Amino acid sequence: MLKYILKRLLIFIPTLLVISLVTFTISINAPGDPVESMLNKSTGGEGQASQKLATEKAYDELRHQLGFDRPVFYFTFTNLTYPDSIYKISKISHRATLERLSYNYGNWDHVQHYYRLLRNLENVLYAHPKTDVTAEDLNKAKGYVGTLYDTYDDTRAVNILNELDFIFHNTPTLMSVIGSFTATKAAYHEMVHKKKTWKRYIPVFQFHGINNQYHNWLFGDKPWYTSLPWVDDSDVLYRSKGFLRGDFGVSYQDKRPVGSVIWDAIGWTMSMSLISIIIAYLIAVPLGVKSAVSKGSKTEKVITTTLFMFYSLPSFWIATIVIIFLCGGDWLSWFPSPGVAPIPDDAPLGYKISETCYRMALPLFCWTYSSLAFISRQMRGGMLNVIGQDYIRTARAKGLDERTVIWKHALRNSLIPIITLFANVFPLAIAGSFVIEFIFSIPGMGKVSYTALMARDYPIIFTVFMFTAVLTLIGNLFADILYAVVDPRISFSNKRK
Amino acid sequence: MKFRFLSLIKNPNGRAAEALTALTANGGDINKGQSFWTSVKKQFKKNKLAVFSFRFILFMAFVAVFADFLANEKPLIAKYEGSIYFPVLKSYAVDLGMAEWPSDFQNIDWKQLEYDWSLFPPIPYLPKNLDENNIHSVSPLGDQNVKSRRWRHWLGTDELGHDILSAMIHGTRIALLVGIVSMSIASLIGIMLGSMAGYFGDEKLKMSRGRLIMNIIFFIFAMFYAFGSRGYVMKDAMDESMGSFLLEMFISIAIFFIVMWIGNLIARLLKFIPFFGKKISIPVDIIVSRIIEIMLSVPTLFLIISIVAIVKKPSLFIVMGIIGLTSWTTIARFIRAELLRVRSLEYIEAAHALGYSEFRTIFRHAIPNALSPVLIAIAFGIASAILTESTLSFLGIGVPAETLTWGSLLSAARQSPTAWWLAIFPGFAIFITVTLYNLVGEGLTDALDPRLRK
Repeated sequence: MLKYILKRLLIFIPTLLVISLVTFTISINAPGDPVESMLNKSTGGEGQASQKLATEKAYDELRHQLGFDRPVFYFTFTNLTYPDSIYKISKISHRATLERLSYNYGNWDHVQHYYRLLRNLENVLYAHPKTDVTAEDLNKAKGYVGTLYDTYDDTRAVNILNELDFIFHNTPTLMSVIGSFTATKAAYHEMVHKKKTWKRYIPVFQFHGINNQYHNWLFGDKPWYTSLPWVDDSDVLYRSKGFLRGDFGVSYQDKRPVGSVIWDAIGWTMSMSLISIIIAYLIAVPLGVKSAVSKGSKTEKVITTTLFMFYSLPSFWIATIVIIFLCGGDWLSWFPSPGVAPIPDDAPLGYKISETCYRMALPLFCWTYSSLAFISRQMRGGMLNVIGQDYIRTARAKGLDERTVIWKHALRNSLIPIITLFANVFPLAIAGSFVIEFIFSIPGMGKVSYTALMARDYPIIFTVFMFTAVLTLIGNLFADILYAVVDPRISFSNKRK
Repeated sequence: MKFRFLSLIKNPNGRAAEALTALTANGGDINKGQSFWTSVKKQFKKNKLAVFSFRFILFMAFVAVFADFLANEKPLIAKYEGSIYFPVLKSYAVDLGMAEWPSDFQNIDWKQLEYDWSLFPPIPYLPKNLDENNIHSVSPLGDQNVKSRRWRHWLGTDELGHDILSAMIHGTRIALLVGIVSMSIASLIGIMLGSMAGYFGDEKLKMSRGRLIMNIIFFIFAMFYAFGSRGYVMKDAMDESMGSFLLEMFISIAIFFIVMWIGNLIARLLKFIPFFGKKISIPVDIIVSRIIEIMLSVPTLFLIISIVAIVKKPSLFIVMGIIGLTSWTTIARFIRAELLRVRSLEYIEAAHALGYSEFRTIFRHAIPNALSPVLIAIAFGIASAILTESTLSFLGIGVPAETLTWGSLLSAARQSPTAWWLAIFPGFAIFITVTLYNLVGEGLTDALDPRLRK
């Protein structure tokens, strides 16, 4: 048994590895720039040189703090045109353009040269004194340079360069800038002329070492031995302790640590799902037994049909209907409108309890009914299977009364399939909470992950995703062990199928 | 034919019906009228509710296919200025690029034209059209600002003035399409992987060392040349149109297979070196079972939601694809279990003895015999795929905003709580469809259960 559990625990590792890779890949490919959204303002455009420099510095600092100034993964398997030091470029949009340019022309050195000159041109433009005469042309030029950062298409880039050419040559006050512009233009043309497209078809393998984003997210950059008491590391600044040591990063939305965001939410989800599961089991098991025992009768038919309906009723439909018809609006207002209004702390305990029950009744109902239907259908199936077996007939022949036969002899064995269901309870709770919490605006895990998804707040999504996966794995293991405990016929020690 | 009878007689545990499957699946007919599928059909027909559900699904399929003829803004037939037109049919030709609208019909309101006579579809609205006279959710029971009963919105309108009934009819198409496409993808993957795992187990798939190494190396190369170095080409094509993306995808897949083929050619030469020629067995079952285990521990809804949320251009096909890619495990498990049983039956041995290739044995003899539980999984799978898609569109994730689905209609009810018709009808449609597929699944389960089959 112990060997079996150890073996299963060993399988956890590759599984979690795969899941972490999947989530990581998703987050890397997510559109949008988290650093920018955290800074909450865009760089470039209008403004003075000093201001621009300050924003850029803040951007770089935050980027460094979040660990984005590292290569993405341990290695890259790509073609020869792929720039090996691309992660050093700070802006995401610039990075995309440069990658594309490098792919198009197969010459990273020239692309880099062009980019450097372009940056220089931009800086010169921003440093240029702004007078009433030049303001319009200057802004126009700045705008064109800004678009060049996002342009990889040759015809478009040449057009923009020609426009700039026109501006610089026809504005006498901008003459001082013309030198850096011609250099940029020349660099662009050189890049285009020294095109090496064959490089696209040579596969290369670049190794980046462990100082990468994935490794850092998982393990952190704080070495494990620094937590030992005799190691003094107070003067070193580490950015993260890593996922495995409970440092889940900070939320992009409000810079709160992800751990505390989730901790606040998980209470709601867990208590709701626990209550709902208990209710579901309390009702479902007797119901399932009842409908199996009285098979063929009218009661049984009513029960089975109702359960089947419940089973196929989409919970988001029922929730919507319940809100529209029972929570105020134009129809009945038996229940409060969705949302969690704070209950005053000094209220009497009885009031607190009754108020919470009152508020949570509808969400709990919507949460529970489908799992109730599912469990009792399984229960019925298991019971029907058992009732037909010989030992039940023997028990009856012994003269035991029907109650003992059903509730003592039959129930025990038919509970086995129900146990496997229990394994899925917690992961299902998180997934199931998604819709219900969204509709009833309960600030639980589902609501948190929904808002995180909408805001592309990947540290939160990551963490919830990994947690759910871990819970599923543990649940499965737990169910298998319980299986063996309940059913002595199942043994894991000698594997015979 | 001799070995086939043998398998029947020698089959010890009396599972003659299963053995018969093989016969019927292979085209043999010793016992007409009592074949496996006939008995399944008979059993299925006893379940009145399941039969009714199946017929109702067929009816819904009819509605989905002919949605354009049931609910459309254009007349089916019309006589206009002396000549007869079939505008609905013609719009198909226009969409395919085979015809163009005459200048009279460009950018017009079809209902305002002065026809000599015309025949409109039963519901004279398209889901994408807005009825300006009936905005702000007009009730199906109340007064509507329409010319006559003919133009009434039988199920009301929503906030912007979409006709609900028309949107529901066209939504049928989306719902059924989601179910069918995603389950096709799932069954393709599930049957492939599951049958490999079940049939070969851990020992039976043997390959020379050289071939294994070459396949791994060339797989990396093939991925590189087909997808790695063509990444930007495919991305550009995707931004352009779905058609050009599919073309580029086809080219990529062709490159992939060509590279793999070259690898296998080299492997054939390598066989002559003793070290590379040695045969080793590949533990297919372990590999596939691990993959299934990993898939099972991934929170599926969460995975779908997070993938769909990062896609730049939301599209129904992406939703379908992801649902398909995440829901094949049940099918794979079913077919694996079946093939574990089937592969030890005598007729498979006989097929080996006759010198059939593994490929032929698996696809023509083993899999057809194991398909029946897959049908059950597919029926339930379609139900849950439809449910997932409607959940997604209810949450407003992954489905383009302008596409009206049952789920997005239902979510409109949240914005206008007085409009009970928005909450009732689309939700009811989802409920009915899911129930019907579940009922068919139940019916199939009963019909295929050997204990119930007499």
